[in-house]
Amino acid sequence: MLNIGSFRARNCHGSGRRSFLQLAGSLPLLLGGATGPVLSAEKIRAKSVLFVFLWGAPSHLDTCDPKPAAPLEYRGPFGVIPTRTPGVQFSELLPGMASRSDRYSLIRTHTTSAPGHPDAGTVALTGFAETPSPPQPNFGSIVAKHRGQQQHSLPSFFSIANGVVMDGGRRIEGYGGGTLSSAYDPFLIGCSAEGQVNFPALQLLDDLNPLRIQDRRRLSGQLDRAEERVEQLRQKTWAGTMNSAYDLLLDPAARKAFDLTQETEDTRARYGYSTFGQSSLLARRLVGAGVPYVQLNYSRHVEAITPGFEFGWDTHIYNFELLQDQHCPILDRAFSALMDDLYDHGLIEDTLVVMMGEFGRTPKISARAARDHWPPCYYSIWAGGGVEPGRVIGSSDKLGEYPATESYSPLSVGTTIAHLAGIDTQARAEMNVLGNGHVIDALL
Amino acid sequence: MIADLKTISQIPGWHSLIFSLFVLTNVASAAEPQRLTDSGRLKFSPTFCDEGRGLVYAELTDPTMYRLQRLNLSDGMIEPLHTEANTAEFEPAWAADGQAYAFLKARGTLSVSIAVHDAKRVSIGEILPEGGFFGYRHPSLAPEKSRLAFSYGDGGTQQIYASRLDGGDRKALTSSPGLNHWPSYSHDGHQIAFGSSRDGNFEIYVMQADGANQHRVTDHPLQDLRPRFSPDGQRIVFTSHRDGNAEIYIVNSDATQLQRVTDHVERDDFATWHPDGEHIVTVSERKGRHDMYLWDIDQTP
Repeated sequence: MLNIGSFRARNCHGSGRRSFLQLAGSLPLLLGGATGPVLSAEKIRAKSVLFVFLWGAPSHLDTCDPKPAAPLEYRGPFGVIPTRTPGVQFSELLPGMASRSDRYSLIRTHTTSAPGHPDAGTVALTGFAETPSPPQPNFGSIVAKHRGQQQHSLPSFFSIANGVVMDGGRRIEGYGGGTLSSAYDPFLIGCSAEGQVNFPALQLLDDLNPLRIQDRRRLSGQLDRAEERVEQLRQKTWAGTMNSAYDLLLDPAARKAFDLTQETEDTRARYGYSTFGQSSLLARRLVGAGVPYVQLNYSRHVEAITPGFEFGWDTHIYNFELLQDQHCPILDRAFSALMDDLYDHGLIEDTLVVMMGEFGRTPKISARAARDHWPPCYYSIWAGGGVEPGRVIGSSDKLGEYPATESYSPLSVGTTIAHLAGIDTQARAEMNVLGNGHVIDALL
Repeated sequence: MIADLKTISQIPGWHSLIFSLFVLTNVASAAEPQRLTDSGRLKFSPTFCDEGRGLVYAELTDPTMYRLQRLNLSDGMIEPLHTEANTAEFEPAWAADGQAYAFLKARGTLSVSIAVHDAKRVSIGEILPEGGFFGYRHPSLAPEKSRLAFSYGDGGTQQIYASRLDGGDRKALTSSPGLNHWPSYSHDGHQIAFGSSRDGNFEIYVMQADGANQHRVTDHPLQDLRPRFSPDGQRIVFTSHRDGNAEIYIVNSDATQLQRVTDHVERDDFATWHPDGEHIVTVSERKGRHDMYLWDIDQTP
């Protein structure tokens, strides 16, 4: 790892910078510096994985597992609407998703043991608890390592959010490479409601927007100024991140993938001009460009409403208000557009989409007329990449409290993702990941 | 569209004249609404202020912030209502006589208060949240600074309360199963329209300002929400999902004459009456962007 001190000692123009890049090039890179096994095409059903993380945990009763026959203190105020799947109803807040249920499958019997966001979030993204340290790798890191060098210049694992996802001021442990090393951390990329893409790692530099970088000389000057700020901030991972970001800023293929203006106005409108909407479109472009793993985060933070934090799904208060006014309309529109686009662009067969939170929410309405954490029962949605659409796997009990049929753990989610991405049992064992995990055969 | 403000401002009731000029020039109608904003950002809860000269609403100005914005109708200028605000402020409510306004304010992690200001935007007080995770909902002000209505969850249900503007003399106006929400005073302060899920899903109800005579106005298995009285108290505008997505409807306060106002595949929501009683403003989603629109309401039955 090239540390900040060595970076400062160099001449940051011309040959000094090339030397920096050469030295950094010896590091394991997300940009394909490492090589991996040659994979036979028939083993891979999901060339790309798009993991939609509903961070903060949406209420399952108020979205995809309503209980209209339950007592009022459980079922909540929302009505239900039919879907395209016989016998399946959704909350009235998700009409677009309901009308597309034949394009994906639904699992209603997930269960996890972790009660709080940081630990449950790590379990959701790795299959394992956050301790002992280092944690097990993110599913995306596993795919990134297995795929090795890509034919394009884009990193193998992107996480779309304005930074590493957090609960309060605490960063989630399972966000990256873990035991596989930080070389397999996701490349962080953010997207605004207007579709402007940014790199959180480069937010030190006000005008380092990928589309504004025109020439290396100008970039060199900006990087020099960044060096001073980096030193002040003591970002020890700056060197590796900068190397990746530097290449991405100037690579035409990467710039093209990030440029949402290349889409028609109609397409962008279908996703909706929200942070999640335009981020979903960015995610589609990234998988279309061949990125093996994209984690699309609904928000950076879990909190429903807390000063300074993005509005997440953790609705200990305003559960019904936020779902109705903001989260469900945004999610319904963006996810529906994403499904349509993946099908229309011919990407769905090679792209595995998984959407879920880290747990459910209390079926019995809380004292504050909202819903709290509920690890025993929640749902996921699966589409493409080898998954049979239109299925509903498992059912929760009549109050939505516990699985009434076989339950599935986050580890089984990760194992299934890996399996469909061509990482078989042997490969998983060789990487020492996803131990004792089982594939959810009912999806295939 | 912008007339000579110096001349017009000397005419009594000039603000209504400006608004009329605005409307006539731009031909707002129930079929072709007039767009009032163009940021496209998510917006909520518009409410007229300053005798109809302005429109205050909450806007998601960045992913972490709801900010109260004020649209000046005479020139289209938009500015923050509170330039010093450093936390989320939302759900603004103006008393019909303009003497006070209230809004919700995020104070900490999942903790929301009600702030009350007078017409000069000076703080009258703040009703602090209770301990733990707690959030007041949807304030509404009666005229003459007499009462403040709001809702919050307690004991597994959500009820509507009324108090003085400083939060004292708090009285529960509802006591039902389910959730009671969106209290909205009539302009004379004698009635409150509200939503309630007591019968299974959100419907529109009306009660007297003291909580008496609660009666149901709508009846549909999909939700009806966010009612607001017309200035004359005879009609109620609300949002309904009855036709497949959020649309705006008007009904007489005696539950007769249901009228659909909007009809679009995208969302129409958060309707509020103009003081003239002949127009409403909505937050409508068009081509994926959220902006406020002005609608001319047909008066004929």
